[in-house]
Amino acid sequence: MTEGAAMVRVLMELVLAILCLLSVVSRVLSVSGEHYGINKTHHHDYCILGAGPAGLQMGYFLSRSHRDYIILERNTGPGSFFQRYPRHRKLISINKIYTGRQNKEFNLRHDWNSLLSDQPDLLFQRVSEDLYPHADAYPLYLSMFERELGLRVKYATDIGKVRAADFTGSKGYILTDQHGADYKCRVLFVCTGLWVPQQVDFVGSDLVEGYESIPTDPEDYKNQAVLILGKGNSAFETAQSILGRASRIHMYSPSPVRLAWKTHYVGDLRAVNNELLDTYQLKSLDGLVEGGLEDIAIVRRGQDGGKSRRTGGKKRTVKSTERKEQFYLTLSELLDNRNSNKSGNITAENLPGYHDDNFSLRQPYDRVIRCLGFRFNFSIYDGSARLLHSSCARGRLPALTAWYEGRGTPNLFVLGTAAHSRDYRMSAGGFIHGFRYTVRAVHKVLEQRYHNIAWPATRLSTSQLLSWILKRVNEASGPYQMFGVLGDVILLQGSHCEYLEEFPVQAMPQLSTLSGRLVSEHGLLVLVMQYGLNRTDTLGPGRAESEWTKAWKSNFLHPVIYYYRKLPTEKDMKQRPVGWPLPRPDAVHHMVEDFLTEWDQPISHSQPLRHFLEHCLQTDLRAFYAESCFRLSLTSRKPPLFCQQGYLNKQGFVGNSHLWQHAREAGLMPAHQGSVTPAGDGTFSEFLTHAGAAVTSTINFDL
Amino acid sequence: MCRYSVYTLVLLLFLLGFISKHHSKSTNPSKLLDLSAQSFRQILQSSRTCFVYFGKHVNPGIEAFLEQLEMSAHALEDYGIMVGKVRNHIIFNKYSSTLIALDQGAEVLRSFDVDTVFDVNAIVSHVLFSVLFNEVRYVHTPAELLAVERAARGTRDVVMGHIQVLGLPEHRALMEAAFVYGTKYQFVQTTGAPLLKHMGVADPASVPARLWFLHCSGVTHRSEPCPHTLMRKPLTTINIHTFLQLMEAPLLVEASVDPEEVNVVFSHLNVPVLFLFTQSETMQLDRDTAQSVARRLRGEVGVVLIHRDNLGVKTALKYNAVYQLPQEEVRYLSLKNTDEVVNLFREQLEEEEEADEDEGDEDQWSSLDVLDDEVAESVYRDRGLTLDTDSLSELTDQTFSTAVTQSRLMVVLFYLKWDAVSMAFLQSYLEVAEALEGVGGVELGSVDCGEWTVICRDQNITSFPSVLLYHSTHPPQRYRGMLGTTSLHRFLLSQVPSPVFLSSSAEVLSFLEGDLYNTHSTLTPIRVLGLYLPTDTDVLVFEEAAQSLRGEIILGLFVHEEAQRWADEHSVMLPALLVSRGSGIQPEAHSLSSSSSSTSSTSSTSQDLLSQIQRFTLDPFPELGVENLPGYVEVGKPLLVLFVGGEESVEVLQSLEEMRKAQSTGHLHSSLPCWIHLGRTPAGRSVLESYLGFVPPLPALVLSQLNTGGEVFHFPPERPLLAAEIIQWLQRVQNGQEPPAGMISDEAWGPPVPFYNFLSVMDEEAPGYAAQRSHKTKPGAKRGSERGAEHNSPQTSPQTSPQPPPHTEL
Repeated sequence: MTEGAAMVRVLMELVLAILCLLSVVSRVLSVSGEHYGINKTHHHDYCILGAGPAGLQMGYFLSRSHRDYIILERNTGPGSFFQRYPRHRKLISINKIYTGRQNKEFNLRHDWNSLLSDQPDLLFQRVSEDLYPHADAYPLYLSMFERELGLRVKYATDIGKVRAADFTGSKGYILTDQHGADYKCRVLFVCTGLWVPQQVDFVGSDLVEGYESIPTDPEDYKNQAVLILGKGNSAFETAQSILGRASRIHMYSPSPVRLAWKTHYVGDLRAVNNELLDTYQLKSLDGLVEGGLEDIAIVRRGQDGGKSRRTGGKKRTVKSTERKEQFYLTLSELLDNRNSNKSGNITAENLPGYHDDNFSLRQPYDRVIRCLGFRFNFSIYDGSARLLHSSCARGRLPALTAWYEGRGTPNLFVLGTAAHSRDYRMSAGGFIHGFRYTVRAVHKVLEQRYHNIAWPATRLSTSQLLSWILKRVNEASGPYQMFGVLGDVILLQGSHCEYLEEFPVQAMPQLSTLSGRLVSEHGLLVLVMQYGLNRTDTLGPGRAESEWTKAWKSNFLHPVIYYYRKLPTEKDMKQRPVGWPLPRPDAVHHMVEDFLTEWDQPISHSQPLRHFLEHCLQTDLRAFYAESCFRLSLTSRKPPLFCQQGYLNKQGFVGNSHLWQHAREAGLMPAHQGSVTPAGDGTFSEFLTHAGAAVTSTINFDL
Repeated sequence: MCRYSVYTLVLLLFLLGFISKHHSKSTNPSKLLDLSAQSFRQILQSSRTCFVYFGKHVNPGIEAFLEQLEMSAHALEDYGIMVGKVRNHIIFNKYSSTLIALDQGAEVLRSFDVDTVFDVNAIVSHVLFSVLFNEVRYVHTPAELLAVERAARGTRDVVMGHIQVLGLPEHRALMEAAFVYGTKYQFVQTTGAPLLKHMGVADPASVPARLWFLHCSGVTHRSEPCPHTLMRKPLTTINIHTFLQLMEAPLLVEASVDPEEVNVVFSHLNVPVLFLFTQSETMQLDRDTAQSVARRLRGEVGVVLIHRDNLGVKTALKYNAVYQLPQEEVRYLSLKNTDEVVNLFREQLEEEEEADEDEGDEDQWSSLDVLDDEVAESVYRDRGLTLDTDSLSELTDQTFSTAVTQSRLMVVLFYLKWDAVSMAFLQSYLEVAEALEGVGGVELGSVDCGEWTVICRDQNITSFPSVLLYHSTHPPQRYRGMLGTTSLHRFLLSQVPSPVFLSSSAEVLSFLEGDLYNTHSTLTPIRVLGLYLPTDTDVLVFEEAAQSLRGEIILGLFVHEEAQRWADEHSVMLPALLVSRGSGIQPEAHSLSSSSSSTSSTSSTSQDLLSQIQRFTLDPFPELGVENLPGYVEVGKPLLVLFVGGEESVEVLQSLEEMRKAQSTGHLHSSLPCWIHLGRTPAGRSVLESYLGFVPPLPALVLSQLNTGGEVFHFPPERPLLAAEIIQWLQRVQNGQEPPAGMISDEAWGPPVPFYNFLSVMDEEAPGYAAQRSHKTKPGAKRGSERGAEHNSPQTSPQTSPQPPPHTEL
């Protein structure tokens, strides 16, 4: 294996040497042809746009496999997004250092910030010990990651234009930076994240402050009535920070609040930021309202103007005279044509309260803040490099294949938060703790596609499959974080199987092409983690299932194994049952959810799983003591697999009389008439005292 | 056991004539004959089979019995058997107070107690069974049945009846059928539970009498099993008759007239008839379907395929099935699939059984909560036990690398806590650790791979448990032996340098004699010596092989000019191997060059050499035990096993000696002679029982063609176990002159329990949940279920209502 890898490496170096030579030649040609010698053209097999977590993560994998890559970053340090966001500087990604476990893989289930690497201590906990760390820690961590792994990042390189070009038959990309220098890339990774604030066009949208620019000092909001557009985490984060200063906070957006602890989607409102729900429900002047954004209007109405007309006994809410004007939320259709947005022209008739006397948002606001999230920057992609808009997330994200290649832009991959369209509102692909695994998966796809290195697979004896699945189920972080999206694939091959980790299950029909591994006539298993139907009250009675026979009703994250005799087709995939990550299989097994997420119990977890595997493989997978194998090997021409792969291979498992006794009492091992005291143990102790004593004095471990 | 009882009861057997059960030229209308001394003598001289009661007292009990006897006289007359009673004192004294069945020629076939033949059914069944003793095979084990099947294969079909208790009406029905059909079919009677299991009956304890028809006549291939059909009706004479007729009838009858007019064999047999339809376009397909249905309903329902193309067929096209119960009107049906057809009949035929089965289902699933894996169960029973792991060092990320480099020999067990085999082996491993405490230079450690996943990944552990040996100077060595206390302990104590480099002929001699490393001779007496000339580069292959065999066999290497002298002495070519089996025994010599002509293949792999060495060290006449069997099964020859009893008698030693003698003639080379000591290897007893169906007198010699055909032959116990006899017998076996005594099952080990199918549970409890979407329905457009709505909501576009934003406090 290592030999093979070494050989491939040698080959690659050769190829690279030739490429270098070619690039030198082309450079010479281009220099001689151009007048401006400063505009160099750089050639790379792989270009990564953006030195955020996704870019650095891919950089690490490319550097580990010794590829020619460059990371281009317009700022002077990595992760610049985190220099500014979140505005109130508290990360809500869990940084749980103490798990009671030493298993590094398991611990990544509760470390949402670290990137993947083979350095065991290159973890986020080195920069912060807080469960919800300060945002400044993140760029620090990224710098450390980049520095310690020696990743090649070119800072202060602002790519303003990306266009496609034909590179000897395959599509490549040319990137142009602020100085006009070109980067010719055979493969481009767009890891630019989402940083363009999402805006909705409505009348008066210019009067609204954006999350990106609001003051973060709560004192600035003292006794102010604030309307926040949006009900996501940034909206609530903003609300939370001013909760003690603002007089009234109203939150307005089309959909109701979705709580992450109910939906299991970390992009929904996290409990870290949800104090406003308390003040709302305890009627302490804050509130949530649902309504569309496109048809509203925010209008400014001077206080004086209002006063002059309000002669009657209507109660006045705002007495402050410091503020010149206040904002009202109204509907665009209530405004007079042509003169919208002019404070002087707004009359009571233009406001909804005039028509509907108990309209919720009838009172004016001192500030209106837009917290509607961010969108992908589509603007720099030209012509055939243009990325299509995905239909989900209101078109904020590019449309991608199941292996994260742009639809219509071969060799251009989108990674990181911008790649969230694949599992928007479903899984964790838009977040560091999720996309660090998709990046790894994409890298494996690349190795196969461009370097003919098949997806790494562990070859296992079929009799070891049960243990191995339990091992993965109990520690693997990839399928745990990227539930329903990344799954382990087990290619069954009779007495052996190949275990592939963390394959994007949506790409299952293309498994052979993407992974370079073939599906045999024995079929395959896919192991994914899944949340359940969520039909019950999240905190109510009956929320947890403990009967393994009802495991399919588990609500919490639990392992599900699908068995297919044949690889599902694209059509099977499209028509999969509603809410399922995969098509209806030939057989399925749910492992019952576990309070401790430890799926290792013999009766509830292990045995049902074994029975399922036995059904799929049509073979007995039980373990047997050597004595049983002895008997079965002599009385059956096809003894059980465990005996074939262990005992008959001279690696039988003997046991001791104490254990045999248990098995005999359980009726699982025949009792022998007469001489029940088995020869093994009795003679052994005798043997030990003799041999041990003889050897202790004279043995010499010469080596 | 029954076998023996049969033998002991036929004490009074003096058969003179031939049995001819079909002659029934009865001159005397059969009543119960009251026999005088003279008429009894006459009968003895006639050629009639006669059942006679001897008794003198008449009490109410006997009176009732005599009534039954009277009735049986009528019944047995049909079979040409006379029934009589004798009150003569002289005769009575001779035969005491029993009943005897006399066969023609005055031989007592068998005698019975009145308790056995208590009523007419018992009398008829026992008498017929005695008469048919040679025809009806009485079997107890699957192996015996397989032997019957083998004999019948390609020639005739087998009818097997399972009777719980002899003498009941079912037994009589079976025997009566055997009397009638005995020449046509091979009848088999069994009372044993093992056979029921073999026939796929899950719970043999609660099964009524059953009858199977084994379709052996059509089976041509030796290894193919005979397909069988279970008779689903109670065992009565008429049911058996109908069933056997049905077995004779064609599987599928085809007709071109309307169902109401069809006249087929089934109508005369009073069985339900199912009509299916076909037309010329779909003929083949329909025929296949009909055949598969017929196969599933065989023995219960006759299936007729009607060709619709004929004008005579008037059944409307909307009906695709018609069925008719005996003496009832035909009924027309439209069915969707074959299951529905089968269920139609099953429901009617098994209404009462169904209720039971439902209950059975519940039990079945709750029984899945019982561990069915012997290792898992025994570990589970130890769940209250805390293992004392003080003698082990539990290694961690921090301690692992230093531990394996600093100890001279660090043994590491890689295990998983949830793996039952790992945890069971941990007990043995601790025993080894305790035994080795104080032994210098060797340390035992363990790594919990559920916790220290990185170590296990780096060490490439993909199998649990794994034991690796870390020598400070060598690459890690995987322990490839039996995972048991004794084996591992011996292996660790046998850690001497491998190979041992020998520099002089004196050292070679000392090595072969076991003087060098003499402390290890008790562990493994076998020594293997490689002889190479200094010019030979293949010596590296030997060294590599020797390294992998470290701990298993003690290997020496002598690379020297003097190697030639050693080779000459043993008349082999260099390079060569000398195998010494202990001091004072002449070493065996094997030339390594002669085995492969081209040098490239000799030097090819150390793996080849390794397995060659392992072959050379095998015992020519081993005692098989749990631990060493695999090495001998690997040879692939039929095993010629001598099973000897627990105690070391002279007989045992003699038989072993005879085996050795036979072996020394060279006539046993086609098999592997070996022996099993049932005292040391008690599991051998169940092996023997499984081979023959019973445990014969020991010592017993058995030829087990484990890898070649699966037949088992038993050396006739009445013959003396002498070398010449053994050779002769083997010869007869080879010539096919000996009948096999049993068969080794060729069946693959399928899932041990029925499958709990989540998909069907989902389909039942939440219809549609697990169903593929049809291409018409869009995602989410399906049903008003909560789930659908939930998935839909993110996609709903912002409201475009012209109304003021409603105050929807949700």
